[in-house]
Amino acid sequence: MESRFGAPAHDVSEAPAATITPRATPAVPEAPPVPGPLDGFEEGVVICDRAGVVRAANPAAQELLPHLRVGEIIDVARCEVLARAVREGEPEGFEAVVEHATGERHVRGRRGTAIGPVPPLPPATREGDRYWYLRDVSDEQARTDSLLAAQERAAFLAEAGRALHGVLHLDRTARRVVALAVPRLAAGAVLVVRHDDTVTWAAAELGGGRPRIGHGAAADLHRVPHLAAVLAGEGDGSGDPRVDDEIATLTGRRSAPGEASRRVCPVPITGVVEACVVLTDPRVAADEVDRDVLAAAEEDLLSSYVARAGTALAAAALHEEQSHLGTVLQESLAAPRLPETPGVLWGAAYRPARETMRVGGDFYEVVGTSERPAFLLGDVCGKGIEAAVLSGRVRQSWHALRLLEDRPGHILPLLNTALLDAVATRDEDPRFATMVLGDARPADDGTVELRLATGGHPPPLVLRADGEVEAVPVAGMLVGGIREARFGEAEVGLGPGDTCLLYSDGVLEARGSGDFFGEERLAAALPPCAGAPPQVLCEHLEQVVVSWLDGHDHDDVAMLAIQAPHGPGSPA
Amino acid sequence: MTDIGARRTAYLERLAAADEAGAVAVAVDALDAGVDPESVLLDVVAAAQREVGDRWAAGEWTVVQEHVATHISERVVAAVARHAPAPRPGGTGTVAVACLDGEWHGLPARLLAEVLTRHGWSVEFLGASVPAAQLATHVHRVGPDVVAISSSLPSRLPAARRMVEACRATGTPVLAGGPAFGADGRWARAVGADGWAPDARAAAAMLAADPDGPWHADAAEGGATAGDRTGREEQGVLHARRAELVRLAAAAARPDDGDPTDELADDLGHLVDFLAAAVFVDDPALFDGFVSWVGSVAIPAGLRVAELAPVLDALAAALADSPRTVRLLREAHGGLPAPVG
Repeated sequence: MESRFGAPAHDVSEAPAATITPRATPAVPEAPPVPGPLDGFEEGVVICDRAGVVRAANPAAQELLPHLRVGEIIDVARCEVLARAVREGEPEGFEAVVEHATGERHVRGRRGTAIGPVPPLPPATREGDRYWYLRDVSDEQARTDSLLAAQERAAFLAEAGRALHGVLHLDRTARRVVALAVPRLAAGAVLVVRHDDTVTWAAAELGGGRPRIGHGAAADLHRVPHLAAVLAGEGDGSGDPRVDDEIATLTGRRSAPGEASRRVCPVPITGVVEACVVLTDPRVAADEVDRDVLAAAEEDLLSSYVARAGTALAAAALHEEQSHLGTVLQESLAAPRLPETPGVLWGAAYRPARETMRVGGDFYEVVGTSERPAFLLGDVCGKGIEAAVLSGRVRQSWHALRLLEDRPGHILPLLNTALLDAVATRDEDPRFATMVLGDARPADDGTVELRLATGGHPPPLVLRADGEVEAVPVAGMLVGGIREARFGEAEVGLGPGDTCLLYSDGVLEARGSGDFFGEERLAAALPPCAGAPPQVLCEHLEQVVVSWLDGHDHDDVAMLAIQAPHGPGSPA
Repeated sequence: MTDIGARRTAYLERLAAADEAGAVAVAVDALDAGVDPESVLLDVVAAAQREVGDRWAAGEWTVVQEHVATHISERVVAAVARHAPAPRPGGTGTVAVACLDGEWHGLPARLLAEVLTRHGWSVEFLGASVPAAQLATHVHRVGPDVVAISSSLPSRLPAARRMVEACRATGTPVLAGGPAFGADGRWARAVGADGWAPDARAAAAMLAADPDGPWHADAAEGGATAGDRTGREEQGVLHARRAELVRLAAAAARPDDGDPTDELADDLGHLVDFLAAAVFVDDPALFDGFVSWVGSVAIPAGLRVAELAPVLDALAAALADSPRTVRLLREAHGGLPAPVG
């Protein structure tokens, strides 16, 4: 056993007297009562000579060390640290636990100054005599012990809080809840959580490795009626063997032999999840010593832990609900896969603004099912969910309109009217969009004819196969602004290896430590990509723009590149 | 019987010719000849891509040629997956594979994703240059068992720390991979990762042996010391002043020129990034590695070895308030080769 402070403490079995030559006791075998100044001391005082023989000890010392005998060597007092201190002169201060008939006593000792003379034995302090002062610190020790235990409990709860608060994922939270419980709270733990129509369980056992986890349907809870009652807050279940059986049914494994004690701890009501933790051989029940105080503290610890688990489970479940909404939205609005079309190559890049959870206001669509593949790239004003809803409206309208009308110059006014009408029926504020839309007609000679229509959007760029860059001179008014809006139209011929690039203004407005990226830099970045596949062009530009940003936030960035394949044998 | 080296050579030739169909054919022929798909991916595609990187560094290929080659290899990886589909996930677990924010070379991570899929993992590939916030969202939402982060550039290490912290907050172990973390993975611990794998095969073996980590060889306490305070502060200073420092350094390197060339500005930007990363992990070897890399590459109009000494001096003078940065600059200066002639 080690004392709290790392110093070796008492040895109940045998004082190491064997290492010292036993010596003849002095002439006076029975110490007479010791009147004198030491008697009044509250501290125990022991005076030993150089050889370790006790020359005097006051009543307080005798009381602390019942085996202490004046005239005999200090080792008989059965306080090993003191014996060593006496022989070696150090440690000059120590703590020790001394066995008494009534239990353990904590003794703190220090070497002190000589007081003399000390009648009647010896009459005067002799050269080499040392004085040892002893004090009963059992109460202090008990207070320290309980303080340390309280600190340990607080540390466990803090650790549990840290481990649980950031998880925000129900399965992972469930695993952590049971992993934390073992071994601090119990030898085994099973958590059962019901959230909506799913029941999740997690189980951990001492030495059982990674917590196991499983799922079931809440509809099947009728197979485990007693557990279901506990989850619903309608029963305690502790000590009910049927709950044990049901847990075994649920997890497919009986966590401990039947005689192990179990405790069912329902998680406080969270309004989001219903949960309970079932502990095997819990520490609270097993503790025999000082049952009242310790058990109450452990009980507090257990309920705090269960409450934290409940909060973390509820937070994770809520986060999953929310993020599921976001995910469904993201997936419906995600950048589409580009089609493989004969005679036309496509490339695209899309980088939503950082703060919008990958739901942006920029969008593009390519449909390759007809002879004239149709495309659309646009940008709705605003950010986040509102922008995403509007961009969804624009896309769906375009998808429907292009089935009825294939001329880009006619689709755009129809789209304008559709957006204005949709806004008018909902008393919404006008919401604008800018876009370029068009179609591509590949010819047998390897060229591609593009028809474009644009409203409020930056002009497309054409990168010729020889590296020359041209802006397509076309402009138009915002889409969804006014009914009489006028839009621009253009036709562009792409020779083999020529590429037309549509891009959102997030490219031009990308701003790093200095300037905006701007049209000039964009045009300058293109020639090295002449002849490269359109996907490479877009990825390269995305990289250039993000490098320009240098870690700064940015608006959505979208690019769509349309290329006439270069003929066989031409250089890449 | 064609050996794997010959296939790699043939594949590299197709990349050099920007011949996607030909490159796919080389890979598919290998599969049809019974070569293990993992070997096609790693010993043909990945090995050829390393050669592509060497050619770029040697100034033989332009950056766009390198992009085209990488694009073709991406298509080949997809073709291999179609031609020799991986078995269905075997319940091994789920792993999210992501490149560090600012790491645009997504192919090594893509290959890792393919290899892990073939080892029974259910893999989510998040792509190149994944912002830490996006990774955090994914980890919260999907809850993978492991996150694998990949990078080839040590200059991205400060970004790695943000990503690792985002994952560790959710209790998800992070396995780092790629040369960004040092030839022996020493910086993986410095950014707080739970382990490091030199390549995709090693990563698959480590995850098979222990799906939970930590995987560091000496099972000391997990990297809790990600970037001490000095390192974070001085790295932050370098990042905030990056544009200004690049201008200063360019003026010191070529005092007679006006605006620096794009190539010089790029190289000096990299220099500042590597310096920041070296300060961050407090390891002069990281910056020394960049300095010797400058000596080994031949990018036309890029930073030349002879220009390093005035650049390092100018930066040390401008950063006098950052003691660790200055120390690294001085040590690197002391290690420069003596000017010839």
